[in-house]
Amino acid sequence: MSLLSLLIFLPLVGALAIAFTPSKAASLQRGIAFLTTVVVGILSLTVWGTDDLASLAVNSAWFTLPGSQIDVGYRLGVDGISLLMVVLTGILMPIVILSTPGHIKERVKEFMIWVLFMQMGMMGVFLATDLVLFYFFWEIGLVPLYFMVGIWGGKRRLYATLKFFLYTFAGSVVMLIAAIALIYEAQSTDIVAITNAMSTLGVSDTIWLFSAFTLAFAIKVPVLPFHTWLPDAHTEAPTSGSVILAGVLLKMGTYGLLRFSIAMFPAAAVAASPYMMGLGAIGIVYGAFLAMAQTDIKRLVACSSVSHLGYVVLGLFALTHVGLAGGLIQMVNHGLSTGLLFLLVGMIYERRHTRQLDQYGGIASVMPIYAIFWTIAVLSSVGLPGLNGFVGEYLILLGSYQAMPFWAVIGVTGVIFGAIYLLMATRKMLYGPVVHEANRKLTDLNPREIGLMIPVVVLIVWIGVKPDYFMGRTEASVAAIVERIDQAREGMKVAELAVPAPAAKGGESR
Amino acid sequence: MTPEALELLFTGAFHGLGALFAVAFGIVLLLLAEILPGAAKLRPAIFVATLVVAFLGELHLLDEPAGIVLGGSYIADASTAAWGMVFLCATAIAWVFGRGYYTVEKPFQGEHDVLMLCSLLGMLLMAGSGDLLSFFIGLELLSVPLYALCGFRRARNDSVESGLKYFLLGAFGSALFLYGAALVYADTGTISLLELGNADTSDSLSLIGYALITSALLFKAGVFPFHFWIPDVYQGAPTPVTTFMATGTKAAAFAFLLKMAFMLPAGAVASLSWIALITIALGNLGALVSRDLKRMLALSGVAHAGILLLAVVSCLKTGNVALAEEAAIYYMAAYVFSAGGAFGLIALLESKTGEPTTLDSIKGLGARRPGMAAAMAVFMLSLAGIPATGGFLGKYFVFSTLVVQADMAGAAIIAILLSVIALGYYLRVIIAMWMEPADEVATLPAEPKRLGGAAAAVCVAMVFLLGVLPDLFLGLLP
Repeated sequence: MSLLSLLIFLPLVGALAIAFTPSKAASLQRGIAFLTTVVVGILSLTVWGTDDLASLAVNSAWFTLPGSQIDVGYRLGVDGISLLMVVLTGILMPIVILSTPGHIKERVKEFMIWVLFMQMGMMGVFLATDLVLFYFFWEIGLVPLYFMVGIWGGKRRLYATLKFFLYTFAGSVVMLIAAIALIYEAQSTDIVAITNAMSTLGVSDTIWLFSAFTLAFAIKVPVLPFHTWLPDAHTEAPTSGSVILAGVLLKMGTYGLLRFSIAMFPAAAVAASPYMMGLGAIGIVYGAFLAMAQTDIKRLVACSSVSHLGYVVLGLFALTHVGLAGGLIQMVNHGLSTGLLFLLVGMIYERRHTRQLDQYGGIASVMPIYAIFWTIAVLSSVGLPGLNGFVGEYLILLGSYQAMPFWAVIGVTGVIFGAIYLLMATRKMLYGPVVHEANRKLTDLNPREIGLMIPVVVLIVWIGVKPDYFMGRTEASVAAIVERIDQAREGMKVAELAVPAPAAKGGESR
Repeated sequence: MTPEALELLFTGAFHGLGALFAVAFGIVLLLLAEILPGAAKLRPAIFVATLVVAFLGELHLLDEPAGIVLGGSYIADASTAAWGMVFLCATAIAWVFGRGYYTVEKPFQGEHDVLMLCSLLGMLLMAGSGDLLSFFIGLELLSVPLYALCGFRRARNDSVESGLKYFLLGAFGSALFLYGAALVYADTGTISLLELGNADTSDSLSLIGYALITSALLFKAGVFPFHFWIPDVYQGAPTPVTTFMATGTKAAAFAFLLKMAFMLPAGAVASLSWIALITIALGNLGALVSRDLKRMLALSGVAHAGILLLAVVSCLKTGNVALAEEAAIYYMAAYVFSAGGAFGLIALLESKTGEPTTLDSIKGLGARRPGMAAAMAVFMLSLAGIPATGGFLGKYFVFSTLVVQADMAGAAIIAILLSVIALGYYLRVIIAMWMEPADEVATLPAEPKRLGGAAAAVCVAMVFLLGVLPDLFLGLLP
């Protein structure tokens, strides 16, 4: 079995193994799950270490679509865009499993099975280079999170989980119709072939396909105004669910935007760029305002997620080299820093059983180690130079300034608001006198909790100090997309010169 | 009879009738077993053997060239065989889950089985019929035993009500068909489908005739505006019979609809697609507000009928019967195993108490009967069309023909967005089973018997096979 297939199906094997354990053997189940995710993590690092990524590709027949000669294949592959996501998934999942003993105490068996299913779905989405296969994993990924929130979530879990599922499912089915049309149009289900066939077409030919795909991904990211499911899902999800959601699952949306909306339909993306950048920039500011108004710390982090993903959308749809590269690295950064914040929120909730900000204060004096980690996470999230967040935000703002200064300026204000709400929350939680007696007895982090966060912190600093090491691997793929975009721009210019009538239209949409 | 004689019999005048003969022979044997002393315990074996022989006959037919037999009244080809296999699977599922379901009516199990086989014979005849008359015989052969089966639990009011309601409305449906067939005959002078395909049917007499025939078929399939009987009849009928009706009858109606779609005027495309969309909407909205599982699945079946009608629409619009038929058969096969499995599990849940299964009574089932609850969850996800289940690929193929061949992306998008509503109630079943604690007072449902459990496991396996390895099944059709 090839390396990429192992990345997808080892979790499935692990899940099956857990299914055959006695239901009371919680530590055995945790052990199997941890072992599986560690092996997958190591394998994902092997992928990182492979120089010739194309050599890893898998291509075998699956089935033929009825009434056509189109072969749906079992096609896997990895390139600069998916590489970071695969490694991020590989690294985060063992951490997620390690974080579970604190908050998953019941029905451990089912939980571990769902986590591993989730990993299969996520790896599948990032590795599939066949459209039907991609859609398979895309929708399979909904089911585990639905169960994770619905069974182990908070008080309003049933509402949150149904809302999450309905929102994302509605987006996916529209994508399904677009995918059917796209497969027929390109006479292939191979994503590379489809991209080659579609990326030369003009705006009017692709705008509907672009819109349908973008809608599905925008709901998943989520881009304003489709964001309302996210704070609910995040707040009600168990800590590990939130980490997966913030760390990887939302990246499926931004990954899709880059892989499909932009790379496949560059002309339509150029036409839609101002609007998408606008949605991204407004999302940054709106998310920040939402976060400021929250009194629940977990909801605050969830809203900050909306804000931070606004950066990614802003950067990607700037459609400049710098913006795309920044958006890509910011996807990783958001996964690390927001994932870390959710872990930390979960750890304090396990001790104090409240998430209300006013119930805290002076935690730094009681839990100094916790305070250190929290501060690192916040500073990374705020974008302090030297940490990862800075690299991403800087590149995104630079890239979007090149494209549309107006939205870049709006986006910059988000940096300030972000600093305000995150630092305010930090002050309320960590500093000042200890007001509540219950807080005096809190115990600091135990070695397990420290240990599971160390890799994340290392990556946060590493990306901050040596971003080239990470971005170098993505360079070739980003350059290829930029080339397509430039060609599309050229094509639109030619069309403007040749035919006066559509010229006015093209000019407008710029 | 020597093997050579048999060979001759089935390749000559009776080519492709193997399954029909097998089922008819099975009926006779079952009736004999009823009266011969000591033969009663052979009945299950006879039933199973009948289905197996009939299935082999259909399998054999798949590779054969098409044949027109019995003077053009029966057309045996690969698609007839594929539909036949769908009916046989539906019957097998309904029958297996019906074992151990009846308590008071146990002594009449033999009659139950005979009636079921008669109905199956009707389905087989419907799917292969080459003229309107043989279709009508099939339709009656299907319906009349079902009237009796619906009222089979005669001690219960709801069952009797169900049987009576189905009888009254079904008789009306049959009359519609006969009247339509008469009008068509009056106009064209023929009842053969092949000749009707070439005949000039633009006359208003024919048009009214076809409208009546189509209405009768839509009635059997449970499509708007003829779907009102579905929830009541399905809910009141014994659950194994509901299983049988929901999967088998619907498949039979659509088998013939696809066969005669090419005769309908092109103007029917618009009206039929609106009917399909309204059906999906009404079915899903109705299911969304019902708490009784049988009623919910009955109404969800209405929505599925709407999606199948879209396959008929694309067949009508493009004239490409084979492709639409392939998509519809795949969709129906996935539906047979997922809905059949789901109804079957309801039958198992009911078998101890006799109480209806509601969203409240299945609360906490995941903790008490994890196997059953997991199977039910798989069926729900398949009905919702989540990938890796057969429901997804069925949906994909139907919508693919609709978008690509028929060029009706608008209708496809409306239909698929309407089907998002369906997720609301499918997920609620999963929520109740897995995410809500059990009521203290609720009685623990019976441990499924070995047979029921195995049948559910086979259904789950088939749902996954249909969802992951489509080539196994697509390869069967030419």
